[in-house]
Amino acid sequence: MKKISSIVVSLVLLMTFSAYSQNQGKLKSSKSHIKFYSHTAVEDIEANNYTSVSTIDTESGEVVFSIPMQGFEFEKSTMQKHFNQEGFLDTKTYPKGKLVGKITNIDEIDFSKDGVYQADVEGELSIKGKTKPISEKGSITVKNGNIGVESKFNITLADYGISFVKGKPSTNVAKEVEVTVLADYQAE
Amino acid sequence: MKKKKLIRLVAGVAIIGTLIAGSSAAFMFFRPHRDVQAAKTDYSLTNSEIVSEYLKDSQAADNKYLAADGDSKILEVTGTVNKISENYNDQKVILLKEKGDHAGVSATFTAETNHKVTDLKIGETVTVKGVIRSGAAFDEDLGFYENVILEKSDLVAQK
Repeated sequence: MKKISSIVVSLVLLMTFSAYSQNQGKLKSSKSHIKFYSHTAVEDIEANNYTSVSTIDTESGEVVFSIPMQGFEFEKSTMQKHFNQEGFLDTKTYPKGKLVGKITNIDEIDFSKDGVYQADVEGELSIKGKTKPISEKGSITVKNGNIGVESKFNITLADYGISFVKGKPSTNVAKEVEVTVLADYQAE
Repeated sequence: MKKKKLIRLVAGVAIIGTLIAGSSAAFMFFRPHRDVQAAKTDYSLTNSEIVSEYLKDSQAADNKYLAADGDSKILEVTGTVNKISENYNDQKVILLKEKGDHAGVSATFTAETNHKVTDLKIGETVTVKGVIRSGAAFDEDLGFYENVILEKSDLVAQK
């Protein structure tokens, strides 16, 4: 009798543990969209990237994005070439951008319950070898076990050593660029 | 009379000059993107070969494969289809990865080449041509190995 009850107890424990570990842990995304948008009186410029990889740790709230910089595509090929070159993003020397942050209100987000949650992210963004603190808001949508993240924030190009004093870029590229992030996550 | 002729000549030269400068500026401005599939392949190799090249020395591999203006090397990569998915741009993405390898090669197709993926099955060996965007590496923050990324891909051989 004692044996049976101990087996039952360990089974219950095991089941609880496996259910727990299924809901907790790391979420991974390889389906994402990162958009740069620059607006000036002269023209609007947009670049799109679908190649980033991301993780969210649902326990600690840690968020990571790794962004292959050569994956940004522009409508005009000349702009794309400029974007990659040394004066701009120097993507050969710095092939990846990175965001490492923390969802500071992770306790308010229930990844197992459908809903839209606001996420406050604080962390650091590294572009072109320069790391700057960022603080942004995003939303996390949980629906039928799918987890989607959306965020929009601005970055100042000069913070990352990208500034233009003369020529077309100084008039046609905004000093502040709007970044839109979309990502779809699955349990790792 | 002579003065008039000179003025005409100067004006003519100026007009022609403007036309040439204008059209070459327009050409630069509207220059189409490189057609990756029409361009010559720079390197043919297996997925395992390029992954191990990157894991051995990523800087040397970046120097070899990435171009400063973003028109990086065009590769034909052969490997086993491990995963088929779709991105936010409605493009098919196939992962070529061997059992036991730390990372693979992720190849994004285009609106024009998407249909080539329809009949592909997991486990098939294929050759894909595309432009490299970034290499494979272990990322400490992510906690796993990142794949080599190819874009503008098409299927060039299927076994």
